[in-house]
This record gives sequence, C-alpha cells and structure tokens, in this order.
Amino acid sequence: MEPKPPEFGRFAEPSLLILTSLSDGPKHGYAIMQDVEQGTGRPMGAGTLYAALVRLEEQGLVEPLTPVDRRRPYRLTAIGASNLAEQLRGLSDFAQQGLRQLGETQP
Amino acid sequence: MRSLLIRCYPARWRARYGDEFEAILVERPLGPFDLADILLGALDAQLRLRGRGATTEHEGGFTMTLRIGGFAAILGAALVSLALLLGSGALVRIDRVVPSLLILTGSLALLVALAGMSAFQARAHPRLSWAAMWLLVIATVSSTVGIFVGLADSSLEGGFVPLMLGLLAAVIGSVLYGIVTYRALSTGAALLLVAAGVLLFVGLSVSSTDYQQGGSRGIVAFYPGIICFAAGWFVLGVQAIRLDRPATA
Repeated sequence: MEPKPPEFGRFAEPSLLILTSLSDGPKHGYAIMQDVEQGTGRPMGAGTLYAALVRLEEQGLVEPLTPVDRRRPYRLTAIGASNLAEQLRGLSDFAQQGLRQLGETQP
Repeated sequence: MRSLLIRCYPARWRARYGDEFEAILVERPLGPFDLADILLGALDAQLRLRGRGATTEHEGGFTMTLRIGGFAAILGAALVSLALLLGSGALVRIDRVVPSLLILTGSLALLVALAGMSAFQARAHPRLSWAAMWLLVIATVSSTVGIFVGLADSSLEGGFVPLMLGLLAAVIGSVLYGIVTYRALSTGAALLLVAAGVLLFVGLSVSSTDYQQGGSRGIVAFYPGIICFAAGWFVLGVQAIRLDRPATA
C-alpha cells in the first residue's frame, strides 16, 4: 500500500509555492516571500508562510538550517523534492487535460 | 506593534519560530493584509497546539480572503450609503442613532473588505492602504460615539458632529482605497469612489452654506455622490468575488 501523501488543507497552495521556491536552493522566510510574490504576482503574508512552513517541517518535506543573523534558511529534503515533483507532474497532467477540454469546447 | 503580533502566537511556537518570524516582520513593512494574515496565522497556531488543528485544515483556500472581502464590500456599501441617505435628513427626519448605527456596521464591513481585498494589490500602496484603514477605524469609533450621544440627547442635533465625522472618515477612507486598488481590481470602481468623494464633499459644502438660508442645492451633488459611493464599492466587491470564484463556475 502506498503511503498517503501529506494533506495541508487550506495551506496546500502556499505549501506548493514554498516547495517550488526552495527547489533552486535553501532560502530564509523573507526570501521565500519575495520569490512567491515575484513568481505569482500575489503577496504571501508572514502568517500564511509560517503556518505552511510549520506543516512542511512536521511532514519532513523541508528542514531548517543554522540561522544567520536571526534569519533561518530552509531547504528541501529528499522527500520534499519527490513530493514536489509528484505535485508538479499532477498539475501538469491536469493543466494539459484542461487545455485539451478548452480546445474541444472553444469555437 | 511587531512584538504585540508575535505575542498572539503560543509560547511554544514563539520559542521555536519567534526570532526568525520577527526578523521577517522587521524587513517587511506591514500592511492591513499582513495584520489580518498574521492574526489568522496566530489563531491557526493556537488551535494546532491545542490539538484542534484539524478544524482549520479544510477551510477555503488562500483566495478565500478575496471572496470575504468582496461580500463585505457590497454589504458595507449598502449600509454606509443608507446612512448617508438617512443622515442627510432630506428624505425623512430621523434621529442620529440609526445612521450612526448604520455607519458603525458599514464601516466594520468595509474594514473587513479592505483587509480581505488588500491581499491582492501586490503591496503597491501600503501607506494609502493603512491611511484608508485608519479612516475607517475613525468612522467606526466616531459612529459609536454618535450612537451614545444620540441616545443621551434625543433632539435632532444629538450626535450630529460624530455622525458627520464618521461619514466623512468613511468616505475619505473609501476614496483612498479606491486609489489603492485602481490597477489591481477595478479602474471603474476607483473612479466611482473618487467621484463619490468629490460629489459628497461638494454636496456637504454647499449644504452647510445653504443651511442658514434654508436652501437645498447641496442635494444636487449629494445624491449622485451616494450613488457613486455605493456603485464604487459594489463594483469592487463584485470584481473581487469574480476573481475568486472557482474556474468551473
């Protein structure tokens, strides 16, 4: 039986954005927020960031590194990278299906 | 302000994340959205550490704030517009308690709208957002005072000054927020809210000069101002709800 993927409830979207932000290397919280804002055009509040980050850390998808000047960087774990790849593949399949359906329904 | 916000989180959470969280708050200027977001984050942490986290796991997504903001904008627009209409005394002679009560509830709704919708303006005008928020806070405080003064003094003049102050604060706050959102949500709504501010200001100015002569020229600008005010917030609210609706709807 396959292990059940972690559920993040209403923090699923912020969690995915955080994992994606960490995919190119460790970042501290503020850098993640800037990365998400630049990537999506929407700000991620500090409250949402840490609510999602706590869950990701509990699930072992990210791990904290040694703080530098009170800023603590986080990095993806191997499980986190695998989980992110799985989510992105799922989203890609979903997007392709949606585009196909749009192609069928558009005049 | 920062330390107050961090204190909303449980002690165990602060011991682990407090330092790095504070470092973020130092680097990032806080807007109304951040305030609401941090308070919700603190509530989430409190519930999770009490073993009730499951209740927060299956609520709406990140964009829920936009939908709540949209509905609150429509409700607030209706209540404050009604307060403007009744407060003008042109339609019916009514004591000041009812319009003050309407401004109080309307301003509270507009505060929720502002916090919810400001999440999506990409932090373009944080100072204007804060100014708009504080003006709406003044409107709620002033209308609360108006209610108590009106209850104590049953004459038509009772509570007039706090009522007018509340109305002005709500209108100027709305104009500022219109300017803040003109790119992020709706240019039309922004123009309507600015027009509302101008028309209502002209209406009030003319009315105050006419008052002693018994004239009513101010109404010519006042009523279109109310319509623009209601329409501006309504359009903002509808636009926010439309942005937040599921793609399959």
